[in-house]
Amino acid sequence: MSEPQIELVLAGEQQRYQAGETLSGHYRLLNIAARDVRAVELSVLWYTEGTGDEDLAVHFFDRFEPATRAIEICQPQYFGTQLPASPLSYAGQIVKIFWCVRVRLFLTQGKDLIVERPIQIGNVAAAQEVQE
Amino acid sequence: MSRRFRFYEKKRGDRRTGSKRFGNVGEALFFGFFLVVGCLALWAMGSVLVVPEWRANRHFAETTCMVLEKHVGHSSEAESPRFRPEIEIEYSVDGHTYRRTTYDATGLYSISREPADAVLDRFEVGNEYPCWYDPMDPGRAVLVLGYSGWLYLSLLVPGSFIAISTRRLIFIWLNWGTSAERRSVMSRRAAELDPFEESRGAALANVPSDANWTNSPGTHLAYRLPIAATPGWTLFALLAACLIWNGIVTAFVVMAVRTHLAGQPDWFLTAFVIPFVVIGILLVGYLVRQGLITAGVGATRLEISNHPLYPGGEYEVFISQAGRFTLTSLNLFLVCQERATYRQGTDTRTDTCTVYRQCVFTVENVELEDHKPFDGRCRLDIPASAMHSFNSDHNEIGWKLVVRGCVASRPNYERDFPVLVHPPAAQSPRA
Repeated sequence: MSEPQIELVLAGEQQRYQAGETLSGHYRLLNIAARDVRAVELSVLWYTEGTGDEDLAVHFFDRFEPATRAIEICQPQYFGTQLPASPLSYAGQIVKIFWCVRVRLFLTQGKDLIVERPIQIGNVAAAQEVQE
Repeated sequence: MSRRFRFYEKKRGDRRTGSKRFGNVGEALFFGFFLVVGCLALWAMGSVLVVPEWRANRHFAETTCMVLEKHVGHSSEAESPRFRPEIEIEYSVDGHTYRRTTYDATGLYSISREPADAVLDRFEVGNEYPCWYDPMDPGRAVLVLGYSGWLYLSLLVPGSFIAISTRRLIFIWLNWGTSAERRSVMSRRAAELDPFEESRGAALANVPSDANWTNSPGTHLAYRLPIAATPGWTLFALLAACLIWNGIVTAFVVMAVRTHLAGQPDWFLTAFVIPFVVIGILLVGYLVRQGLITAGVGATRLEISNHPLYPGGEYEVFISQAGRFTLTSLNLFLVCQERATYRQGTDTRTDTCTVYRQCVFTVENVELEDHKPFDGRCRLDIPASAMHSFNSDHNEIGWKLVVRGCVASRPNYERDFPVLVHPPAAQSPRA
């Protein structure tokens, strides 16, 4: 049997969004049986990169466990959320803020599988260092 | 195995970081060890102190005994001698006669001999006294009842070991196999339940509140901007540091000078003290410089036509500089800085990087006089593609107005006035 896969599709294959817009899409689990799935988590989140320690916050979160929710595991799971006003995506010098949609699949055998789609919120210009 | 359990994992970017799972195992072992130690210590203290006293007070039966002999008992186990009263008594239970050397239920030793002597003085050999015996084991008896009082405070030591370790182990257990996203959601929900946590709309997540900016109205424009650090407090902190440093250094200087005066110079101490004296002198110099700036420059006041600011917005700024001196130049800058905090070993470090600096006002050769501060106005444009103010646990993006003054024959000075830039989508009708 092939390796389990996650298909994550954003509506319109859009990558750039404005604050307040609705982000929607669906994901689907492939090559896997319900008994092999411990849980699936869908998150719309931002995280920081750069010199500082990573900060992360989740705007939208949905978790289901096949044992507790009767769904067809290989059917597309649709989601949608209105994006917040802040924080906006930002490419700074020592602080960068990235947004993404992430699906995390926990397998009963202990491993987990992650697929994510980066998105950009807002039109903030990339920052350059300025000498004092 | 290596796929399941890695000692190192790759972080985003090019840095390597420790495996979370490996860290959790190590942390669980560490706190598990202290939990076991705490439980063993609590069990030992309970069996020596709590249970014997509780049983004696609750279950022992009263009878009468005769004191046969008394002496101070010594403990040979401890490094320093320890003492306790030991009284040999004889009593009868159900026709059986028992002989036992005893005093209280715990039989603990004391580091001082006086309390043991004082106890022995209360009992006379040959006299009868009340005593209490264990009905389940009549051979066990005590001459006093009661609890040891403050000794029970020592239970706090193993108790705190158990409480701290258990709390951490529960945290590790709850987070074991939990994704970073789920942990973030759990901590956010916990924060929402905190009654002391300021309730803020989710619309402006990670943007600081502007409450401290809009509670001080201006006299020329809508709001008076707060200064980042009051010069008086900065000067006070510097003065305290200067006094502490030079106070300690003076003690060593006195020791070094005495060796010279006594004709037996300690050159090692003298050489050791010199760099510290130099730093002390530099501190005094910096204190004098800051004092001159604070005392001589006078108050700087900034007012703004609206707040918070928005990208693409136009605002008016009023600047007022008091004092009695000649300003070679006075500049006002709009500055954006990134600030990143990270841990390096056991240190927490913070880096800053200026990513925007625009001069919005400048004036040269201004003569300031008493009661006649310099007043000026200028326009402030926030770039349309500017990033909004942002604040998270380890990362920050902040905007501020910086007043920089160059004063003839005095040190230059800079004063910061933070401002908030909100994201455009949060713009309200007042902006």
